[in-house]
Amino acid sequence: MSSDTLSPAPKTQAPTVRPRPWTRFRAWVFEVPALQVLVVLALAAWLVITIPAIANPRSITSILVITSLLALAAMGQTLVVILGGLDLAAPGYILFGTFMAANVAGKLGVPAVVALLITVVVCGGVGALIGWICHRFAVQPLVVTLGTGAAITGATLFLADGDYSSAPPEALRSLASLRGTTLGLPFPPIILIVLLCGVGMWLFLNRTAAGRRFYATGINFRAAQLARVRTAAVWTMVFAASGALAGVAGIFIASFGAGWSQTIGEPYLFSGLAAVLVGGSIFGSIRGSYTRTLLGALTLTLLSTIIVSNGLTEAQSRIVFGVIILAVVSLYGRERHVRDRF
Amino acid sequence: MNRVLPLFQRWPFAFALLLALVLLVLNLIVSPSFLSPARLPGTLATLAPFVLVGFASTPSILAGGIDISVGPLATFSNCLFVAILIPAGLGNWHLAAPIILAVAAGIGALNGILVAVVRLHPVVATTGMLFLLVGLSLTIAQNPVAAPNNWTEVFAGGIGIVPGALLTIGVAGLIWFALRRTAFVSNLLATGESDVSAYGSGVNIKAIRILAYTLGGLFAGIAGIALTAIVQSSQSSLASTYALLGLAAAVLGGTSLAGGRGGLLGALFGAVSIYLLQQLLTASGVAPSLIQFAYGAVLVVGVVLGATLLAPRLKRNAS
Repeated sequence: MSSDTLSPAPKTQAPTVRPRPWTRFRAWVFEVPALQVLVVLALAAWLVITIPAIANPRSITSILVITSLLALAAMGQTLVVILGGLDLAAPGYILFGTFMAANVAGKLGVPAVVALLITVVVCGGVGALIGWICHRFAVQPLVVTLGTGAAITGATLFLADGDYSSAPPEALRSLASLRGTTLGLPFPPIILIVLLCGVGMWLFLNRTAAGRRFYATGINFRAAQLARVRTAAVWTMVFAASGALAGVAGIFIASFGAGWSQTIGEPYLFSGLAAVLVGGSIFGSIRGSYTRTLLGALTLTLLSTIIVSNGLTEAQSRIVFGVIILAVVSLYGRERHVRDRF
Repeated sequence: MNRVLPLFQRWPFAFALLLALVLLVLNLIVSPSFLSPARLPGTLATLAPFVLVGFASTPSILAGGIDISVGPLATFSNCLFVAILIPAGLGNWHLAAPIILAVAAGIGALNGILVAVVRLHPVVATTGMLFLLVGLSLTIAQNPVAAPNNWTEVFAGGIGIVPGALLTIGVAGLIWFALRRTAFVSNLLATGESDVSAYGSGVNIKAIRILAYTLGGLFAGIAGIALTAIVQSSQSSLASTYALLGLAAAVLGGTSLAGGRGGLLGALFGAVSIYLLQQLLTASGVAPSLIQFAYGAVLVVGVVLGATLLAPRLKRNAS
């Protein structure tokens, strides 16, 4: 965070007096996801100590692939959360992506690139429409995305016409299957793709004017508008990006699982939101970034690996997820008291 | 037209009421026996969980927050009753009903404390609670457990000529009606409209918020009982279906997500509209996938209409 235009101002009220070390330390902890890194390291250490057998390339690859899928699915959600909204249409986009990968690219034999382009255009277009509607009519994205999500899901299932047995083509499956290789190295390309997305997103959010305008719109809509940020364009673009990214995530999810089902998108909505929240991105705040979501996704995947390998069930990992979300956010995602908002 | 618009703007639920009436007429055209006395108790019993989950979503939205954990709370109440209370011999109505309602209200209160005292964002707090409740329901009853004969069957059938579902909906309605006689509801609406102004006017917004979420939890508990009445087994898998349905019903009924505007009547008509839409399309032989499409489309159109044409003039440029 080198640009200071958007960080909280009162920190440097008296430049001659340096704040106490503890205050500076706390500000630093809030500013960088240090806590998340610590948690990830601790969980990884715990996993390796309790189950030494897990430290082999195959297991590590599979953990990373699952993390990548979750992080990819949560990418658009991160942007929408920073803008101060919530994209409940994600399961619909993901379902459409899996449909394109399995039925269109797989069964009909359409080239994978074309299927990818169609997904990006359709999901991006629907997302753009959502963003525009929400901005134009000042309605909450929550309901509009909920309705659109149901509509996309319905339309996709109608197009699929009951055929859930197709599988994506080999070209797509090699991108996400555990045996895949990247430039000769023994890990599937999706890990590299998500890493590159992370770097790209960091550059976009922190090093471009568009990224700063995006943060400005999320933090204070009116102030951004008065500063001549075209908020309509920001909202439209963010929701379009959310749709397109979730659709692409759907393609990879289908490639990883080698198939799809009617409800494949739903777990990714709430787990993706959990990854965003555990990472520490907050609704409409400067303290939100995709790096945090990557860490959040890694935390959740490690956690569920630990839980499942200790003989607990998937259901109990949900309980732990819930507690973790509440604990992490109450540590530093608390809102201001009403008396401070007069 | 000039006379009609102000009417819609005066009553937030008018649009949902109109939609429900149109859909009811269409339903009667497609299947004339839709309202026959023989079918009525069954129809109302299937409708009751929709309506009650819609009710449960409303108080927290009115307080300017949101509660996405009411659907899972309803299914959790259902699992709690079928998989724990009945096997433990606590299945009598005078034991089970208070326990279910107390647990549900307690979980609602916990949500309220997380939002009002710990000051978490409402979406965050209730998402965490949603995970907890879904996990708990799955832990209690991974697979559906069939319920033996029990008192909830009354709510699926009828008591004399009164359909049982009217009781569950009626109890929730009566609670709200009674609360409207107190200062609670006006304070709730004031808090939702602007928590800063309400706080400045001396409203104890912490208590109001906690009470709002508690009330939502209580309604979700009643929804759990109504759900048990029709499914007569534990259905932990229904959690995600109901999670967003209640929200849709409340919002379609004209309750503003910004808070401070709307009420239980809106949620009632919203839920009835969604239910009638599904019934109509099913009866006309439309594929289930297209029903979902239509539901989504109606939701988006309803919300946009509510925010533009039907919104009160004063508020149109507010946000």
